[in-house]
Amino acid sequence: MANIKIIQGDFQQRLKLQFAPGIKAGFPSPADDYSHETLDFNRDLILNPEATFYGKVEGDSMIEAGICDGDIAVIDRSIEPRDGDVVVGYINDEFTIKYLDLRHRKDGYIELRPANNDFKPIRIREDDDFEVWGVVVWTIKNWRKY
Amino acid sequence: MYGIIDCDNCYVSCERVFRPDLKDKPVVVLSNNDGCVVARSNEAKKMGIKAGTPYFQLAEQFPNQKIAVFSSNYELYGELTGRVVEIIRQEAPAYFRYSIDECFVCFDGFADTNLKEWGENLHKRILRSVGMPVSIGIAPTKTLAKMASHFAKKYEGYRHCCMIDTDEKRIKALKLYPIGEVWGIGRRYAARLEALGVKTAFDLANHNETWVKATFNNIVIERTWRELNGIDCVPNEEMAKKKSICTSRSFNGMITDLDGLRTHVSNHAARCAEKLRQQGTVATIVGVFLNTNAFREDLPQRCSFQETLLTNPSNSTITIVKAANEVLQKLYRQGYHYKKAGVIVMGIGPDSPYQPDLFDFNAEQFEKMKRLDAVVDRINKVNGTASIVLGSQQYTRKNGKGKADVVARSARRDACQSKNAIKQDFKSKNPTTRWSDIITLK
Repeated sequence: MANIKIIQGDFQQRLKLQFAPGIKAGFPSPADDYSHETLDFNRDLILNPEATFYGKVEGDSMIEAGICDGDIAVIDRSIEPRDGDVVVGYINDEFTIKYLDLRHRKDGYIELRPANNDFKPIRIREDDDFEVWGVVVWTIKNWRKY
Repeated sequence: MYGIIDCDNCYVSCERVFRPDLKDKPVVVLSNNDGCVVARSNEAKKMGIKAGTPYFQLAEQFPNQKIAVFSSNYELYGELTGRVVEIIRQEAPAYFRYSIDECFVCFDGFADTNLKEWGENLHKRILRSVGMPVSIGIAPTKTLAKMASHFAKKYEGYRHCCMIDTDEKRIKALKLYPIGEVWGIGRRYAARLEALGVKTAFDLANHNETWVKATFNNIVIERTWRELNGIDCVPNEEMAKKKSICTSRSFNGMITDLDGLRTHVSNHAARCAEKLRQQGTVATIVGVFLNTNAFREDLPQRCSFQETLLTNPSNSTITIVKAANEVLQKLYRQGYHYKKAGVIVMGIGPDSPYQPDLFDFNAEQFEKMKRLDAVVDRINKVNGTASIVLGSQQYTRKNGKGKADVVARSARRDACQSKNAIKQDFKSKNPTTRWSDIITLK
């Protein structure tokens, strides 16, 4: 069974100003000394906002990695792709999301690997015009439909 | 030292971010109404496509050639160039945005001594993060920096950053640079200078100041002369805020009635007011121009312009739209087929503090307007441009009975259906500003 640690978060607007405890009338709250900025996904999970883009996953090619149809992928273009990263590439006029496999670099090719046995890896040769468009840093799944 | 960062073929590069397949292919972006070519990729330039080529002539002039065509998508260009500016803000000691695709940087007191390397790294970071290629020029004056950025764009050897930091480099650059391309020298002055034997930037810089003064008696030319000689004299403030704002557009078809024109003029005026608020300024003068179609020699021609002075400088949508419509009323003559209308606001200054006219100033009203505009700007920012507009900004229904017939909710749909709606047949999506448009990953 998975352990779940619950962290209380506050997802209101960023940069909420705290009241200065000194000017409050009445008895000061004993929690004031422990106040700190609230958790904020935009601030803490998106480290390079100017390089961050979003994409919607379509299809099941990454299902065994837990990336499913309808998930939203958070893509950071500014980080250097490494072997094993989940990346976004552009192949045959469409964006694709796959594992990046750099193990065969010395053999003159790299692969984009799906996480689903029904799909074949995409082999990219050295002289193919291919670039990793961005590295997937998070995926977002919606469990409770509003 | 100054730097300028200039986005290469900005609109085309923005489109290519989400269409990597168009790399190395001819791409053009059309003007507002799909009228003519406003941006070209290097490949399109090489094919001989000229800026301003009407769209319908593209197929005639370049038969059997594959050219990717896009309608202009300013929402996308604005967002992506905003990211570029954000990176510059992080990397540079001081910066100011000069236009949608150009940004100046001031290096006074900057610790980083190797500016050439700084520029090369900035180019790399912007290209990787946003997907936008930029050219960077660095020099002792803004005019020379602009020139350097052209060299950076033209010659690959500079690795996207050209620095003019010695007199030797400056003179070499000046000699290679045609006078007509110098920043601040308009087409008319270029022709005059060429007639006087001034063919390159060097020819101008090499004359003495007295000659320049006596020949032109023009502050801009004198300033350019000084800047070319390495003397920094274009003030930063001057470029940070625009002296006039103009919004105009050719109609898709022609308009003869005042009601139709009023809609367009109101929209242009509202856009001017919004831009004023964005840069924190107010305008004193509101001008309107109205032109017929110069290509239709069979029709009576009329080009007219008039302006009005506001009692109190303003950036309020209501005030500026009202003023523009008053001018339009005066300008309008029946019996002409109008092709283009535009609004210009001038006499721009900071929006506070200013001295209100004591006889015609209602402080309460002023504050109310200010709050109203702020709310409208916010709603339009969150829900998309023109979610909330003035009644006079609404396009009339095709067979409607006039403005009163148009309800706010259907205004946008009507704008799309109306024959006067903006033509955007090849518009790309907005993957950075709308959830519905984010890219699909397979």
